[in-house]
Order: sequence, then structure tokens, then C-alpha cells
Amino acid sequence: MSNFELALLSFPIMLGLIFLRVPIAAAMGLNGFVGTWIVLGRPDPVLNQLKSMTYDTFSSYSLSIIPLFLLMGQFATKSGMSAALFRAAADWLGHRKGGVAMAAVGACAGFGAVCGSSLATASTMGQVALPEMRKHGYSDALATGVLAAGGTLGILIPPSVILVIYAIYTEQNVIKMFAAAMIPGILAALGYMAVVAIYARIRPDAAVTAPRKPYSERFANLISIWPVVATFVLVIGGIYVGWFTPTEGAAVGAVATGLYAAFTGGLNRAGLVDCIVQTAKTSAMIFLILLGAQIFNSFLAFTQTPASLAEWVTEQGFAPYLVLAIILVIYLIFGCVMDSLSMILLTMPVFFPIVEALDFGLTPEETAIWFGVLVLIVVEVGLITPPVGMNLFIINSMAKDIPIRRTYAGVAPFVVSDLARVVVLAAFPVITLWLVRVLF
Amino acid sequence: MAATPTDRAGILPAAELSIGRFVRLLALTLAILGGLLLTGLALMTVASIIGRALIPLGLRPITGDFEMVELGCAVAICAFLPWCQLTRGHVTVDVFVGLGPRSLHRFTQLTGDLVITVIAVILLWRFWLGMHEMISNGQETYLLGLPIWYGYVGGVIGMCLFLLVSVFTVWRDINDIASGAETEV
Repeated sequence: MSNFELALLSFPIMLGLIFLRVPIAAAMGLNGFVGTWIVLGRPDPVLNQLKSMTYDTFSSYSLSIIPLFLLMGQFATKSGMSAALFRAAADWLGHRKGGVAMAAVGACAGFGAVCGSSLATASTMGQVALPEMRKHGYSDALATGVLAAGGTLGILIPPSVILVIYAIYTEQNVIKMFAAAMIPGILAALGYMAVVAIYARIRPDAAVTAPRKPYSERFANLISIWPVVATFVLVIGGIYVGWFTPTEGAAVGAVATGLYAAFTGGLNRAGLVDCIVQTAKTSAMIFLILLGAQIFNSFLAFTQTPASLAEWVTEQGFAPYLVLAIILVIYLIFGCVMDSLSMILLTMPVFFPIVEALDFGLTPEETAIWFGVLVLIVVEVGLITPPVGMNLFIINSMAKDIPIRRTYAGVAPFVVSDLARVVVLAAFPVITLWLVRVLF
Repeated sequence: MAATPTDRAGILPAAELSIGRFVRLLALTLAILGGLLLTGLALMTVASIIGRALIPLGLRPITGDFEMVELGCAVAICAFLPWCQLTRGHVTVDVFVGLGPRSLHRFTQLTGDLVITVIAVILLWRFWLGMHEMISNGQETYLLGLPIWYGYVGGVIGMCLFLLVSVFTVWRDINDIASGAETEV
């Protein structure tokens, strides 16, 4: 068996293990370990590699941004920012048809600016907005669907843990990636609001309007979201103008949201322990996957599979957009059962060289940035597509009386809006790249 | 921990519950210490940034702040692993096994934790050797001259507990199968 065949064989084996509930990190690590052993004929090289690989991965300066951003997001969940955002958005939008649901979208987008994780955004905004929407008589399907979809804004709008990891693994500038995700993120929020507006017109009983608020109250509540704006400007702006590195920016964000949460009283001792424990669990999960992926990727590199595959695809002369479409569809399919990060780490060593080798009429850097944003959106769709959509589960678990299929039904129109956005962004790279070109 | 000693079966169910409480305490303590370390690194970084910004006023950045973040993060991440393993924090794909009976779910939990245990053994073994290599070659960080093995020694605590917790979860899974009920985490 050639090395290339061995590498190809390793994918079904790994998927088999993963589908039998072996943790994805362990499946990747074990496959990479055994695979390298077979390819090189002896275990010593991979064993030697492992002496330093764990420490090197865990101590990587660029990767240490991840636990810090996670900590920042956790502190933000205890800071009352989510409630302030939702109040302000509800004041401005609540009196429209479906306005409270639109407000939930707006608040999710705002919270996404201080939190880099979809699950944290969905669960935090869910706690605030779900009771409100149910109180105003919104249908179960719309109320849970809009929050599950809104949660994905947490990762689309910078900072974003997934984008950071993509940037590190494809050697792109993190802050350029963040800039590229801005406009698609805002488009996502507007798209979700449009879905709510249409929904509310078709099913007026599903979305009741709240009374119109006087402007004095609206502006008062708008001012109360200043901590969110300040944190975002400080962290993202500070990285952009070069006051600090991305990792330092994450530390600044963690300290800022932590201090603010302590100030608002959300960060008592129990709150602090809760933040730390959540950060610990997610960080360990992510780093173990990163380590597993590292072992697996080094196996793939030994077999030279990524390079040969990329060469083969270019030699066939496929239309670049056809290849891109196939890759995005593969992500959508896998997203139904797999989580975003594992999918990206599992596929990037193979897909990225292929995309790099294709000509979309962009510079290599622009191609990488644009592709990253497209991938981010399609893997995020996986968070809200059945059967396994983590955001759906999180929101649904907050309202145990709502059957999960109502949530599935409620989120469907938002998935449609996601897919439409992917097509538009893929067809017009300039939408994603415009801000990057202006800023850099 | 919903289970009481009376409805628990399998290998030494009573011991599993009491050892489980102890293991939980250890893992939780280590995770919190790691989190406090991470918080401390964030504060140190902010102090260093302020120092750097105020150089005109006679302040200065903290020497070797990057190195401390690297070393500290490695220790913290290692400290987080046991808690993640104990509370089933790893990403798994449950949907296909979910189509089958609940007992299949419990069985695959055992196989998954067995694989993790194998990985934990390999990682700890290599990490341990790596630590000794670092002690003997005396490699240091660039600015502060901190021996790299400090990070390894800090990390090896987490790696040891990770293995211990992995073995415990295998035990817990076996008893879950025997009792026909999953332990809540």
C-alpha cells in the first residue's frame, strides 16, 4: 500500500471511530500516531516528536489567545452586558412586527463583539431574551429559532476563536481576518432580521409587537451599552493600530470584561469559579483537539497527501468555483454531525492547499482570507442544522416544554438566509475583502 | 452525583463513589488553580502594556512577559485537562450511536474513555521524557533565562492527574454499564 493510499484509508477509519463516539481529539491523535509509525516503519520518530509536541502546542504564544478570549467571553456573560444590549435593542426595534425577535438578533450581534464563541453567545442571550419573547407571546418556534441562529453571530463577529485558529493554521494575519468577517457578520444580522420581518408578516400571531418607547428612554438605554462598545473598540482597535499583539488584546479584553463584571456585581466568588471552570473545560477540549490535529497533520505531511491532492486538482483543470462549491457543500454535510473546530482542523490540511492552488483572480492572501470567512459561515451553519446543532440544543434546554422539532422548524428560515449569504459572498469576494483593502 | 451507593453496581461501587468525590475535588482544584494562573497572566500582560505605553513617564514593560504567558499557559492548559475529562468535555459525535439503545451509548463511552486513557499514557510518558531532556540540556527562555523545564514540571502535574482521571472514568463507565445508568457530571 502506498503512503497516499494509507492516508486516504485513514479518513474512513477516523470517521468510523468518531461516529462511534471516540472523542475527535483522540481519534485524530491515535490515527496520526499509528499512521506515522506505519509510514516510517518504526515508532521512534513519532515518539520523539511527542516529547516536545504537547508542550510546544500548549505553550504557543499565538495559541494562548484562545483561553484568554474564552475567559473574556465568560466574564462578559456575568457582566450584565447581555441584558443591557437586549434592552437597548428592544427599545429601538420592539414596536415593529417581530421587533422583540429582531432585538434578540441585534443583541446577539452586539454580544458577539465581546465574545468569541457561539455557544456562550447563544446561552447568554437565550437566558435574557427567551423569557422576554415568550412573555410577549412569540411562538416557540420563532423564539428558539432566532436565538439559535443569533448565537452564531458570536463567532462571526470578531473576536472569534474559530477565525483565530484558522488564521494561525493558514498563517494569515488575525486582525485582517477579523476585518474581513465584519461586513459578513453585519450582513448576517441584517439577514436574520429580514427573516424575522418576513416571518412576522406571514404568521402575525407568531410575533406580537411591543409598545413604542419614547426616544428619551431609547437613548438612555442606548448609552447603557457603552461597556460593550468600549471593550470592542479597545480590544479590536488596539490590535489594529498596533498598541498590542492579538494575544495581548485578548488579555486586555479579559481584564476589561472581568473588571466590569466585578463592578456590576456579577463576578462574586461563585461567578468567578464558574467562569474559570467553563474556560478550563473549553480550553482543554480545544487544545486536545489542536494536539490531535497536530499529530494527524504531521502524519499527512509525511505521506505528502495534501500536496499531491492539490496538484491533482489543479492538473484536472476543474473550474475554481466548482471546487469551492464542492468544498463548501462537504462542510455543510459534515456540519450536520460534527462541530466547527474539529471540522476545520480535520479538513484544512487537505482543502487549504487545494484552494491556494486555484485561481480566483485574487492575491493568495486575499484568497485565504475570503476562503476563511466562507468556511467560517458554512461550519457555523452546522451549529443550527439538525440533527446535531449545538445552538439548538442549548436554547432548547432552556425551555424544556418546547419540543426540539419546534426549534428545528423555527430555525429553518434562518438556515436559508445563511445559505443565501454564502452564495452572495462566494460570488462577490469584494464584499468580504472591501474592508480589508480599505484598512490595510 | 445522582447515584446513591445502593443503586450502583459493578466493580467496588461504593469505593468508586467515594474515590469519585476525591478525584472530582482534585480535578476541580487544579482547574481553578490553572484558571487563576491564566487570570494572573492576563493581569500581568495588561500591566506590561501599560508600562510600555507609559515609557515617556519612566515606566517600562515587564521583561519577558511573552515568555511568562507561554510558560504559564502551557501549565494552565495541562491543569485543565483532568477537569475536561472528568466532566466529559471532549467533543464527540453522538448522533449515530444515539440511534441505538442507551446501553450502546454507555458502551461507547467506555471505548472512548479507553482510547483517551491510551492517549493519556502516551502523552504523559513522552512528556515525562521531554521534561528530563529539558532538565539535562538546560534550555532556557530567551529574555528571562527561565529554565523551560519549569513549564514541564508545572505541566506534568496536570498530565498525571489527566491519566488518573482517565483511568477513573473507565472505572465509572464500567460501573455505569453494570448499573444501567449514567453518572451525571
